[in-house]
Amino acid sequence: MVALTVAAARGWPPQGRLPLLALGFVCLVAGIAGGLARTGVASGPTLAPAVGLHGVLMVCGFFGTVISLERAVALERAWAYAGPLACGAGGLAILAGATSIGFWLLAIGSAVLLGASAVLAGRRVSLEACTLVVGAGCGFAANVQLALGVPVGLLLGWWIAFLALTIGAERLELSRYLPRPRSAHGWFAAIAVAMVVAASGSLRVTGIALLALAGWLFAYDLARKTIQARGLARYIAACLLAGYGWLAFGGTLLAIGTGYDAALHAVLVGFVFSMVFGHAPVIVPAVLRRALPYTPWFYLPLALLHASLALRAAGGLAGEQAIRMAGSIGNAAAIALFIAIAAAQAIHSRRRRR
Amino acid sequence: METGNRVSASAEEVLEALRAVEDPEAAMSIVDLGLVYDVQCGAQQVKVDMTLTSPSCPLGPYMVDEVIAAVRAAVPGMPDVQVNLVWDPPWTPERMSEAARARFGWSP
Repeated sequence: MVALTVAAARGWPPQGRLPLLALGFVCLVAGIAGGLARTGVASGPTLAPAVGLHGVLMVCGFFGTVISLERAVALERAWAYAGPLACGAGGLAILAGATSIGFWLLAIGSAVLLGASAVLAGRRVSLEACTLVVGAGCGFAANVQLALGVPVGLLLGWWIAFLALTIGAERLELSRYLPRPRSAHGWFAAIAVAMVVAASGSLRVTGIALLALAGWLFAYDLARKTIQARGLARYIAACLLAGYGWLAFGGTLLAIGTGYDAALHAVLVGFVFSMVFGHAPVIVPAVLRRALPYTPWFYLPLALLHASLALRAAGGLAGEQAIRMAGSIGNAAAIALFIAIAAAQAIHSRRRRR
Repeated sequence: METGNRVSASAEEVLEALRAVEDPEAAMSIVDLGLVYDVQCGAQQVKVDMTLTSPSCPLGPYMVDEVIAAVRAAVPGMPDVQVNLVWDPPWTPERMSEAARARFGWSP
């Protein structure tokens, strides 16, 4: 048997992970403020880089930090924590105006994530593990190009592939609890290949791949079963299934080449943030070793996120700026509300334990 | 189970205690999911070999802590509780209990 004795495993103490997560949250807050400013909301003092590089801060600064932290926790090797550190520091450097240094730090962070993913895949080769490596590779490819001066607009396919393949791989893994036809693996691999091939070229093909991924997830994901469960499992399933709806919507818009802003936010807010909302009660205890008990109140920010995103998409597609702006504010409020409820739950649980 | 001053426990008792540890996403115990490979009980040590569906799962160290806590609750005073994450042999759906397979829609 190949075994990893956890007591002897190296890593990074949980208390040391909180500052890394905090770096990601700085990127999140600045990125949201920048995004609101872009839609015309006067959201108070906003750093100019947060407005111009809103997407980079959200995808590479926030998600890059969180995903590479998650991977480092799974690997339990101290060097892997350089990934979230570099991604978070890259976001801070960008906010401080040191754009070039920030971009290279993001590239370094994504390289560490790629290395950590490859080592994990080496422990047991599987389609899931290989997809995580490919997803991390897409993030690395995007960030290196960014550092070399390629415009942000040309890198969207790579970043979408990074996030979609990372999430898709995690869902592929959990779908193993369910019976599925032999062809399901082949379809998933074909979708992943299409996403990578399209990353440097056509966003339309990326859209078709996202639509296909949404179809795959609706057909084979564990959420189909756990939506009938209770409590946390049902809440996670609700987050996932709602997210797959947005993935299909965003993919469709990209495929037909219309509603660019609505499409991107359907994927990055509707799909990716819904996933974050769903998994926070599971991942936060794993990363920080602090309990984050489920509460039905989590449904409140989830409902606000999806309702306001619908408003935002409708406003964007109809060319109604005021409606799009209202939806954007709702998106930001939903994320803030979720963080507030989660923090309250964590603090309440800690006090109860004492 | 009986506690008192007794330190030892049988593998069956430990396995029963591990039913309280769930994969939160599946809402099912790790025992029913077939994630627990082996439990060995001695006078000074309880040793558990378990796996996850993937080595990339960030829940690994957390699940190990949960298993250690469940064993310690079931066998208070046990000097050594050791939990190994094992990747070989890999987990397959055939390892799930009949109840788990039925719930997830596998044919009998």
